[in-house]
Order: sequence, then structure tokens, then C-alpha cells
Amino acid sequence: MWNQFELRQRYNLRVYLFFAAVVCMVLLLFGRMVQLQWIQYTQHFIQSEGNRIHVSPILPTRGMMTDRDGVGLAVNKVSYKITLIPERVENLGETLASVQELMHWDDKRITRLKKKIKQSRSDRQVLLKDQLPWKIVAPLAARLHHFSGVNVVAGTHREYPFAMQTAHMVGYLSLVRDVDVEKGYLRMEYVGRSGLERILESRLHGELGYKHEEVNARGRRVALIKTVRPKTGENITLSIDVGMQQVAAQALGERTGAVVVMDVRTGEVLTLLSMPGYDSNKFITGLDNVQWKSWLEDIEKPLLNRTTQAAYPPASTMKLVTSFGGLEQGIRLATGSTTCPGYVELADRKIRCWKKKGHGKVDIHDAIVHSCDVYFYELGDALGMSRLADTAREWGFGEKTGINLPPESRGNVPNKRHPSGRNWYRGETMITAIGQGSITVTPLQMARFTAAIANGGKILTPLLEKGEAVKVVRQLDVSPKQLNKVRQGMRDVVADRKGTAYWQLSRAHWTVAGKTGTAQVVKMSDDEKRTFSDAKHHQDHAWFMGYAPFDTPEIAVAVFVENGGHGGSAAGPVARAVVDYWADKMDERRKAIKDKKQVQEEL
Amino acid sequence: MMGTLHKVDKILLGCLLALAVIGMATLFAAVHSGDLSVWYKQGVYWLVGLAAFFFMCFIPLRFVGLMVWPIYGLALLALVLTPLIGDVHMGARRWLDLGFVNLQSSELMKWALLLVLAYWFSMREASTLKDVSVALLLMIVPAGLIVIQPDLGTTLVLLLAAMVVILVAGFPWKWFVGLLALSPFAGYVLWQNMHDYQRGRVLSFLNPESDPLGKGYHVIQSSIAIGSGGLFGKGYLQGSQSRLHFLPEQHTDFIFAVLAEEGGLLAVAVLFVLYAVLISRILMIALRAHTRFGGLISVGIATVFSLYIFVNIGMVSGMLPVVGVPLPFISYGGSALLSMLVALGLVMRISIESHGQVSWQRPGSPLV
Repeated sequence: MWNQFELRQRYNLRVYLFFAAVVCMVLLLFGRMVQLQWIQYTQHFIQSEGNRIHVSPILPTRGMMTDRDGVGLAVNKVSYKITLIPERVENLGETLASVQELMHWDDKRITRLKKKIKQSRSDRQVLLKDQLPWKIVAPLAARLHHFSGVNVVAGTHREYPFAMQTAHMVGYLSLVRDVDVEKGYLRMEYVGRSGLERILESRLHGELGYKHEEVNARGRRVALIKTVRPKTGENITLSIDVGMQQVAAQALGERTGAVVVMDVRTGEVLTLLSMPGYDSNKFITGLDNVQWKSWLEDIEKPLLNRTTQAAYPPASTMKLVTSFGGLEQGIRLATGSTTCPGYVELADRKIRCWKKKGHGKVDIHDAIVHSCDVYFYELGDALGMSRLADTAREWGFGEKTGINLPPESRGNVPNKRHPSGRNWYRGETMITAIGQGSITVTPLQMARFTAAIANGGKILTPLLEKGEAVKVVRQLDVSPKQLNKVRQGMRDVVADRKGTAYWQLSRAHWTVAGKTGTAQVVKMSDDEKRTFSDAKHHQDHAWFMGYAPFDTPEIAVAVFVENGGHGGSAAGPVARAVVDYWADKMDERRKAIKDKKQVQEEL
Repeated sequence: MMGTLHKVDKILLGCLLALAVIGMATLFAAVHSGDLSVWYKQGVYWLVGLAAFFFMCFIPLRFVGLMVWPIYGLALLALVLTPLIGDVHMGARRWLDLGFVNLQSSELMKWALLLVLAYWFSMREASTLKDVSVALLLMIVPAGLIVIQPDLGTTLVLLLAAMVVILVAGFPWKWFVGLLALSPFAGYVLWQNMHDYQRGRVLSFLNPESDPLGKGYHVIQSSIAIGSGGLFGKGYLQGSQSRLHFLPEQHTDFIFAVLAEEGGLLAVAVLFVLYAVLISRILMIALRAHTRFGGLISVGIATVFSLYIFVNIGMVSGMLPVVGVPLPFISYGGSALLSMLVALGLVMRISIESHGQVSWQRPGSPLV
């Protein structure tokens, strides 16, 4: 029954077949080895070297921003952050749970972090939380050896000691976004997001350093090979005097507005205040949506930088532009006089002066001192919209000042023709001549204009850094005689008992020359305004612009108070506070220098 | 006694000793920067294992045949007990604590199944439905018990080794082809009846890249280690991948990468030659065996060795999914080394008994 031979044959054959299979297997494996070790050798060798040497970045310390006397406006505070390298973590869930327990984090944060880790590269550090004081990270730091891949790193975080007064200018940082990562930022860096933090980013940032370490797969350092120290960012001294900025803020108080102070000789900005401010530190510590929304929806628009981004009707301060226009163009009225009966008749309408009874006989000096509307209606009418607008442009309105703080508003200066193509009506020109109508200016433009009057017609670029090279945009062709005419008028606004700012500024520590402005928001009588329900937002805007000292001008001041009421009474005191602050400071300094010289001479 | 030792297959023994030297040297390279106790322990395992190897040379095959069924019964009992009282290790119950030794019941079953299949088919051809059915039952019951531990890797090795033995025992090709054709359908039915977590396990087994920080990472690192060795290696104890612990399990399942990194393609070739000689030597013994029982045992053992080598190196070099399978005689591990040395001792005994004998003529009594 059994065919012995056949059976043995079959068995042998199958053992041989199996042997053949084994040979194939060995050849297959050897082929794979040849591929890995011979053909792909270079690639694997490079990879193994890269494996051994782990290059990790060291974040540079961001440069600080200080005011002109070295007071910190954007500074770095020591804090600790917790990071995690996903590929080094043995059990992500467990590790996060333990960290959560130690740090008392809520589940929401853990869920968010898990998502973040999932989206991150597995060999790069992921930021779990930063800006932690040592007290809070200490328990975790002590147990770090239990959590491979987790690290507590000492670092710094940004702080803005004068956030409420300087936030618009200094700006803020926030954690990188995807677009920044594409530009080469690391996942855990902070990037300048607004203000000077954004504009000066490349100088403040500094350069990354690198640590070349020999590490094992668990992320434990075996040896340090070399370190390339990071380069600290540049420390930048701003032209701002934060003391003055604070004085201005205090003088404005709860009111909405802007204060700009410029050095009339250099264009350096000493104060650039926009109120209300906001606490930019909140952007660093993590801003919640509620806060952000409340800022966005606040009727007072705290995020708006009113010094450069908002434009308002210049009101009576415009009369100085009209004056220069008239003087330069040789309009007879500019050197003559007219009679103000309290109104101007135009066709069948009467355009009123702010003083119902009229100013009587006025020349240019009196018209500036008393801010007579009728005089400037007539002067503007004689000039015409085209020449009036040209003069305004000459003096720096309707164009960006070029301050290194974009975005900046141009304001608005009317064109030769009405936007619809027709000629301007005479009434429109007359209204523009006293700073109402379609002309709007930013407080910074106003300060620059003031500085130009003070420095003899030099339109300067406002500078935010101390000691920056002076940039003259243009020198105006205005004669000293014409200048003095206007300057004398401005001086008497303050010095004459009947001047519009006499009560506020006549006793300032430096002699001030200036001009008030009261911009109508709505046409209402004063009585109506007092009884209207939304009284505040229908109040007039108040302006004061001026320079000091009168004989040897050093600073130009522009104060704007939104819905502040009358220019002299609302904006005047703010200007006074600022001028006094600076006058005292400068006098003290001069005295100190004098004393020193005296002591030296006596020796 | 000297007569018996005189008949020992010198080439097989030489291969084994060469592997012992390479294994100990590689293990030293893998652990020298850390815990050397592993290396000393492995040395003791080798001494104990070689003693067991020579001891097996004196156990008559006839006696082994008598022990086949009790061993199989014992292994089955251990498999049943493991899920009930076994130690949980890495999420799976695979070890049975016998008080004096931790027994991996699936490891025991592997050898027991080979023995019982060889015994079963030593008296009959695998050509009748009844005989084959019994064999399949003997195979499927333990395979089912191991797969629920869950240990898919061992199950597959076990099934493959058993299939090779059954095939060599004369399983008709027609049926084999039929089974192959049927397997997708069987797989579908099995898949439909699996729990979700089991499906998940199967999926992650089939596609380790879905877990790049886990096993995928290991394979990438070991491929880099092997590849960076080049033709002649980085030099003994100079492998940066292994020294810096980039390799996972570098003294157990991934030890091949250490050898390949430090010894290069040259060392790999030497190892492959040794393995090839070892396996072909075992198969030669299978061809010379004077009993069918001995022949089939030898084939089964050769199969297990081959599968271990193929699966381990295939896994470490990124050709196959990651399965926890040791590299014979090189990987650290007492019970695996011991069982393989006992198995090799058994092959040696078969060789000794066949010495100068005429090969078996007909399937009759399995033991003569």
C-alpha cells in the first residue's frame, strides 16, 4: 500500500523546496543589507551624525526700549517657561496628566495643548506655558527627571511699565503665528505685533544662538559640543520723555484726547500720548476674547492711536494757515483790517462769528488774538479754496508726517475742486478758512505745524529715537516779517488779557505763544448742548497748539481733547502742565550745569 | 559517552560556538555603556544552555517520542492558565509565574506543537482529510489561545512553522492552493467577528507608520544605524547610534542593528553565512534522519530558526512590521536562548542516532 520510494522522494523534494525558500530568504535579507549599507550609506551616515548632534536654538534677549532718560518703556522680566519635545516623551497622555496635576491646570488647557502638540513638529520644542514665576514652576522643576522630554527653561518676558500711557506708541508682542513661522521664527518666540515693537522688530529681536549637543534618543544630554551665544537685540533709546507723557496723561485725566510735544529744532517727539490707553501687558500674558472685544467695541476706541491715526477738524488753529496764505499771497486784507459786525452776509445767508456782538475793527494780529471768525471768512474768501489748500499742504497737512510709526492718517485737505467736480462754493471756502468743513488734521501734524512756525518754516519729520539725524522735509519760503506777524498774534493769545488762552497759560513757567481751537461737532446752541441726552459726544472738540519759550523756541505742543468743550479752557491747562514740566526740568538742568561750572571756576 | 560525543556534527557545533562568540561580543557592545549585569547573565545562560544542549545529545529520541503528548498537554494547560493568573507585562498577559521561573506559555507551546505534529505525521502522510483535520485542530486551538493574549506575532510564527511541517509531511498541493484561495474569505469572516480594539491592533500591526513616535520611530532609527555602518562598520564599540541609545531594545530585539552598525556589511555577511550553514546543516540532518519523526522535528526546528531570523532582521531593517521576535543566539534573553539550545541539542541527537544508519524506509512505528 505504501510506496516507500515515492514517499521518501516526496519528503526529500519538499525539504529541498524548503531549503530553496531559505536560500531566497537569506538572499532577500542580504539584498536589503546591501541597499542600506552600501547604496544608501552616505545618506544614513549623515542621518546618524545628525542624530548624535542635536542642534537646539537659544532665544536671544529682546532689546529694551527706554525713554530719553533711560527709563524703561519695554523691559524684560525673568520668568520661566515649560516646554516639551513630543518625540522625547514616552507617554504623552500620562506626562501631560502629571504636569497638569503639578501645575493645577484645567482640562481645557490640556485639550488645547494636545491639539497644539499634534500640529507641531515632533523634534521641536512646544511651548506649554510661559511667564511663570519660580514659585510656581519649582515643584515641576524638582521632578523633571520623571518627565523625559519636558523642560523648564529660564527666560524673560516683556513688560510695559507705562502701558496705559505708552501702549499706542510702544506697541506689544504676541506669540508667533503660522505666517511668522514661515518667515523663520521659532514656535515659541514672541513677535512685535504693533507699534514700535512691530516696526523695530528686526533691531529689537537679536540673533538666535545655537547649542550643539550630543544627545541620546531619550533627549538626555550626553555632552555639550559647542554653543553659539545668541546676540541680544539692540536697546533703543526713544526721544520720549515718559515723565512728560505722564504729566500730560494726568492733565487729560479721564478725558479722551491726544497730546504731542515735539522738539522744534530736531523734530524729536517728547510726548506722543493718546487717551484712553489700554494695558498692553495683557497681550503678553494672554488676552482673552472678552477683554479684546470690550476694547474693540468701546465707544472711546482705546486701541486707536489718536496722535497719528485720527484726524479732526483743526478749527480756529486753521486761522494761522489762512494768515500765512494771506500774507504770502499779498492779500490786501492780510496787511489791512476789516470790521466785524458779528456775521458775514453771503447771498441771503448770514455766516456768524462766534462773538455775536462782533469784534469791531480787527487786523490780522487782533483777529488771531481774539480768534475773530469774520476776519478769516473774508481773508479765506479773498484767497480762494485753491490757494488756501495749497498753503495748508505747504505747512504739512494732508500728507503723512513720515513718523516711523505706521499706519498713519494723512488727514484731509480739500482739492482745488469739490469731489463732485464743481467749484467750491464761497461759503465752503470761508468755513474751511476757520478750520471747519472738510479739512481734518492729526494732532501730530498739528504739532509739526507749530514747530515749523517756531523754527522759522522748517517742516521736520517727527523722530521717535533720541539723537536720530534731523530730517528736514522742506524749508518754507516765508519771510521773518510774516512769521513774526503771526507769532506776535500767537504770543498775545496767551499774553493779552483778552487772548483766548490768557487765563490758562499766561503764567506758565516759560513764555508761551499759541492758538486755541474749538471744533463744532454739531450745530447746536450752547443751551441745547447742555440739555441734550448724549451730551458728552456732542460737545465741541478742543484744541490748543503752541510753542515755548517765545523768544528761543524749544518745544511745540499740540493738545486735542475730544468733546472737551472750549479750546482755551479744556486744552489750555494740559498744554500748561506739559510746558511747566519741561521748563522746570530744563531750568534745573541749566542751573546744575551752571553750578558745576561755578564750582570748577572757584577751584 | 565518548562514542556519542564523537558522533556529534562538528560543523553544526562549530557554527553554534561561533554564534556564541559573536552573540556575546555584540551584546557587550550593546550594553557596555550601561548595565553590564545583562552581559554576565547572558554568559550564564550560555553555559547553562550549552550544558542542556549536550544533555539533549544523550536523550534517546524514543524517549522524546513518549513525552510528546504529555508536553503538549502541559503547554496547553499553561496557555489556558495564563490569561487567568498570568503577569500583565506591556499590556498583555503572556507570562506564567511558576514560582521558580517565569514561563512564557506561548514559547513552550511552539516547541510542543512542532513535536506533536512531527509525531503525528511520523506514522502517516498528511494526505487524508481525517489525519490533516486532527493536525489542524492541534494547531488551531493553541493558536487561538495565543491570539487572545494577545500576541499576534507569536501566533503567526507558530502557524507558519506548523504549516511548513504539515507541508513537508505530504500535504497535497491541491489542498494547499485551495486553502490559499480560501484564506481571504476566512480572513473576512474573522474580521467581521472581531472586537473593535482587536481590529485596531491588527491595523496598527499592519501599519506601524500610523504610530510614528512609537514603533515607526524605532524602525527609522535602526535603519539609520544599519545603513551608517557601511561596508566595514564604524568599528567595535564605536557605534554612535547604539552608544547614544537611539536604538530601542538594542540588547534584545534590535541587537542586529548594533552588529550591523559596528561591523558593517562584512559582519552581516559573516553572520548570514553562519546562519545559512546552521540551517542547511539542520536540513541535511532532516534528510539523513533514520526516522520520519526525527526528520520532521528537524524540519520544524529549522523552520522556527529561519522564521526568527527572517522576521527579526526584516523588522530591524524596515522590511516587515515590528514583531517581538528574538535574533537566534544573538539577542539577550534566557528562556529563548535556552529553548533554542535545547532544540538544537535535539537536532544533534537526531544526527547522532542517524550516524551510520540507513535512512528510514517507511512510516511505521515513529520511534524506530
